[in-house]
Amino acid sequence: MVDFHEFFVAILRSGTPLVYAAMAGVIVQRSGIWHLGLEGIMIIGACATIVGIVLTHSFTIAILAATLTCVAASALQWFVIEKLRANQIIVGLGITGIGIGGTAFAVEIIFGSLAAVSAPFGVPRIGGDFGPYSRLSILVLAMPFVVLAIWVLLSRTRFGLRLAAAGEHPFAARSVGANPSVMRLLAFAAGGILCALAGAELAAGSLQIFAQNMVAGRGFMGFAAVIFGGGHPVGSALAAAFFSLVGVAGIRMQIHFGAFVSHDLLLCLPYLATVLGVWLTSRTRRGTRAAAQIAELQDH
Amino acid sequence: MTFGEITALADISIDFPAGGIHAVVGQNGAGKTTLARTIAGIVRPDTGSLHIHGQDIETGNVQSARRAGIELVHQSFALPPSFTVAEALEFGRGGGIGFFSRKELARRAGELLDTLEMDIDPDSRIRDLPIELQQAVEIARALSSNARILILDEPTAVLPPPEIESLFQRIRKLGDSGVTVLLILHKTREIEAVADSITVLRNGRFVAGPLPCEEIEADRVAEMIMGTETEKPDPGSGQSDGMTRPAHDGDPGQVKPMPSGPASAYGSALELSGVRTDDTAAGICLDDVTLSVKCGEIVGIAGVEGNGQATLMRVLAGLAGVSEGRMDVCGTPAGELTLAQRRSLGLRIIPFDRNSEGLSLTSMLWENWVAGELVGKPLFSLINPPDIRQRCTASMSIWGVNYSSVGQHAGSLSGGNCQKLILARELDDAARTVIAAQPTRGLDIGATSFVWSTLRTARHNGCGILLISSDLDELFEISDRILVMRSGRIVCQFGPPFDVVQTGRAMMGAAA
Repeated sequence: MVDFHEFFVAILRSGTPLVYAAMAGVIVQRSGIWHLGLEGIMIIGACATIVGIVLTHSFTIAILAATLTCVAASALQWFVIEKLRANQIIVGLGITGIGIGGTAFAVEIIFGSLAAVSAPFGVPRIGGDFGPYSRLSILVLAMPFVVLAIWVLLSRTRFGLRLAAAGEHPFAARSVGANPSVMRLLAFAAGGILCALAGAELAAGSLQIFAQNMVAGRGFMGFAAVIFGGGHPVGSALAAAFFSLVGVAGIRMQIHFGAFVSHDLLLCLPYLATVLGVWLTSRTRRGTRAAAQIAELQDH
Repeated sequence: MTFGEITALADISIDFPAGGIHAVVGQNGAGKTTLARTIAGIVRPDTGSLHIHGQDIETGNVQSARRAGIELVHQSFALPPSFTVAEALEFGRGGGIGFFSRKELARRAGELLDTLEMDIDPDSRIRDLPIELQQAVEIARALSSNARILILDEPTAVLPPPEIESLFQRIRKLGDSGVTVLLILHKTREIEAVADSITVLRNGRFVAGPLPCEEIEADRVAEMIMGTETEKPDPGSGQSDGMTRPAHDGDPGQVKPMPSGPASAYGSALELSGVRTDDTAAGICLDDVTLSVKCGEIVGIAGVEGNGQATLMRVLAGLAGVSEGRMDVCGTPAGELTLAQRRSLGLRIIPFDRNSEGLSLTSMLWENWVAGELVGKPLFSLINPPDIRQRCTASMSIWGVNYSSVGQHAGSLSGGNCQKLILARELDDAARTVIAAQPTRGLDIGATSFVWSTLRTARHNGCGILLISSDLDELFEISDRILVMRSGRIVCQFGPPFDVVQTGRAMMGAAA
């Protein structure tokens, strides 16, 4: 039983950043853009949190700094896609590149070396008497509520409908007085906050360390979860949890069968599960809700 | 107000009185839609002002226009297809974040639909609704926020004839309840049926209006719409000396009575005998369809939409398989041929939906224009773009397409010009059998008469034409014979003089 709890804690710990990233992807996807910048914005969030804690010794200031930088990076992505009319796929990948390179650069400027930066403390813990769960961060605790809130926002508010209209039929949104461009900016800003949380949980949730390229594809897995979950917040969160489960199971298998099966193969499991999941989605669903093309208002 | 290099609206001043139903008419490209969108705040005019009930409204701002009570129903509706009806009615309402529960949403939608006497399930998705219900939902959406001025942009263009009358009843009821209705229309008969006043635009300029409908004759309206020309211009005369003349035509000047046109010696253009399809996925199946089109005649297919016309089209184009029966194009069995082979026999198709089947809107004019001749060429054959552009330019000017460059995207053309582009491609010298499906849907009077006279010219030059249409006026105007299609069968045939009542009865399935 103890082992089950440990297993569950491990899934929550590795899955929470994925879920936050997936939520950012879901919101932005509703507004009509495939959020391929998740990876980059998430690592900016991770870096800003750790650097903030090291420099200010305050978690509150660190998470605010992470939120601000992530929102700024998201706004940059929005600006280049929406105002400079660049291809959203290329811009997303570009933001990812900026995030990975930029954080390494920032660390070198601030600390004078590219070594991993460790912080004295991280995200506050749940605490109390919950066995292995008390060591989890409050961001893990908040995660289900955030998912629920996003579901309500998207499916049970007029704002959510307008956001979906901006993505699916921009001209319809424009006709009722909702500016699709502004709706997308709002979506990106919300996505920036969620990416900051994803990065903070990843770097400061249990490890309290920032290393180069530490996101290691988790942003893209969050993106895959959006597709796997059909763009639905709950579905995408479950998809992210599934990826995390496969990952944790892979590590367990390493411990038990490491002698017989290649390490690399077991480490591949989450990524293989991602590919499998996306393939399954394409088999079972008729595509997701967002329009594939942006920047072409349907003007008739 | 300018779009690209063409001025859409030039210095227009109109004063619509409050109340009543006001028609705005004009040819495609006359600026009607731009006018409507300017009033609704979707398009910001370069200069000018807008007053509602004496109050100055900020231009180019949808929210302030809606606050003043202006609502616009678009020609091709602006509702996200994946939304449910209830969601579509909700997303346009004003106010903040607007939290709702599922129950509350359904209740609000139900109430609104009830007061408007619309029988629509609030949980069905927009994409699953037939076009007339989509329009009803859009009208309901527009009325959900106490509209005082309702603008409908060509509401009849997309409707099958029986639905038009019920739309007009709804509009009259709205007019009676004190809503000012602006209707963009282009059929004089429809204007007479519903409007109180009429305003005419031409080439982005104001011509006259609002004139009370009782005081003005239909001929005069047509004259104002068309400009200085007579009300029945013959824009088709320009191209008969180049594009539609078959290679063997020796005497283009002499008009002979049908069917003794120059090509009647070639006999049959299209023969279907006992054609059946059994692929239900493709829509209504054809059931024992037998028909023949001779060279030099126009055969009309009448019928309520969705009675197998689309399947017939797919069979002719080789997109749907035939399970039984035979099909000959120009005397050659064509049932097993590919589209390219059918085209080489002279089969040409003007499809139902010019924007998705007829043209690639994101491709350039010359690419669209040359697609027809490339179909028959090997996959890796080289093309010569400068030469194609040159020939395309020549063809565009013969057909009178209003464009700025053959390199512009087809999507930037107006409906009438799109159809001219398709005609320019399909009615080349080698065309023998022409299938024209709804060739004038959504077109204005000028473009419609252009298409008609083009089809007549093609008939005179020896083409056999199958005209599929749900517009009886059109069928009666240019067909030599009319076949009525119902539930995938040809149920009866009429010759001139055509009778609306008889044909209508056959279409609806009442005892003929």
